[in-house]
Amino acid sequence: MARAREVPGLDCEEPFSAAAARVVEVRSAEVFEQAHDVLDTDDIERLHDMRVATRRLRAALEVFAPCFPAKRHRKALKRVKALADALGERRDRDVSIELLESFAAGEAPEGDRAAIVTLIERLRAEQHEANEALAPFVAPKRLKKLRRRLRKLTKAARK
Amino acid sequence: MKARPVEGLSPGAPLRPNAARIVATRIGELRALAEPALDPAASTAQHDLRIAAKRLRYVLEITEVCFGPEAKAARRAAKDLQGVLGEIHDCDVMLPRAWGIESLRDLLRTRRELLFRRFLELWREHDEGGTWAALERALH
Repeated sequence: MARAREVPGLDCEEPFSAAAARVVEVRSAEVFEQAHDVLDTDDIERLHDMRVATRRLRAALEVFAPCFPAKRHRKALKRVKALADALGERRDRDVSIELLESFAAGEAPEGDRAAIVTLIERLRAEQHEANEALAPFVAPKRLKKLRRRLRKLTKAARK
Repeated sequence: MKARPVEGLSPGAPLRPNAARIVATRIGELRALAEPALDPAASTAQHDLRIAAKRLRYVLEITEVCFGPEAKAARRAAKDLQGVLGEIHDCDVMLPRAWGIESLRDLLRTRRELLFRRFLELWREHDEGGTWAALERALH
């Protein structure tokens, strides 16, 4: 996963609310940049990158909570959390499948292989379900709406 | 696990004193959650500590510029703790699903034990080695 991007112009002496706007802008941009191809289960790192970016955005929204209008902040945070949860459900299956496939291909004893393959198949089905549940959260229209919501939030912090 | 609330934040005051309050609260949270997590069987406490480490890491990613090299060292330590505790959690999630597959259960138990040892080493290195204490001093 890419390191967290530095926040240009962040100044320890500037008002907390001005810093809030800068940080949330950068963290939001990171999320939307990572949103492409996250439903592709052949490259699970894409989803992982978006998940980490979403967690960083959520953390920024929590750190700077007092800088934003309460109702607007609550709604934005709720949507970011829902996105993070949907990404997390898929990620849990990705990690388990990766571990099991590597075990099955390597040190697993012959007698256990059939049971491991069955478990992998079950997890693949869950991964598919998690992907279907995630799809609406990463649809361009939904992301555009979230981006607009976050923009309004940072604008309010600057007032 | 809900984050401990941070008292006295002020949107109009500079970033530094506000960030210092948040970081101090997050270090307190990490310390308080560490003791129960040192029991190898305490998987819930270890999960809570992972979340506390993640919170400290992310607030430092934003604000370490205000607190110097001590903050950078603490951020790296929090990231390492979060990583090893995350891998322990992965084993805990997978274990019940591996019912009846003894080789897999053995693998997961052994892996968990190794990871737990690594976690203990990391925790001692940073707690007794003064990583958190150095950051607390840098906040003032």
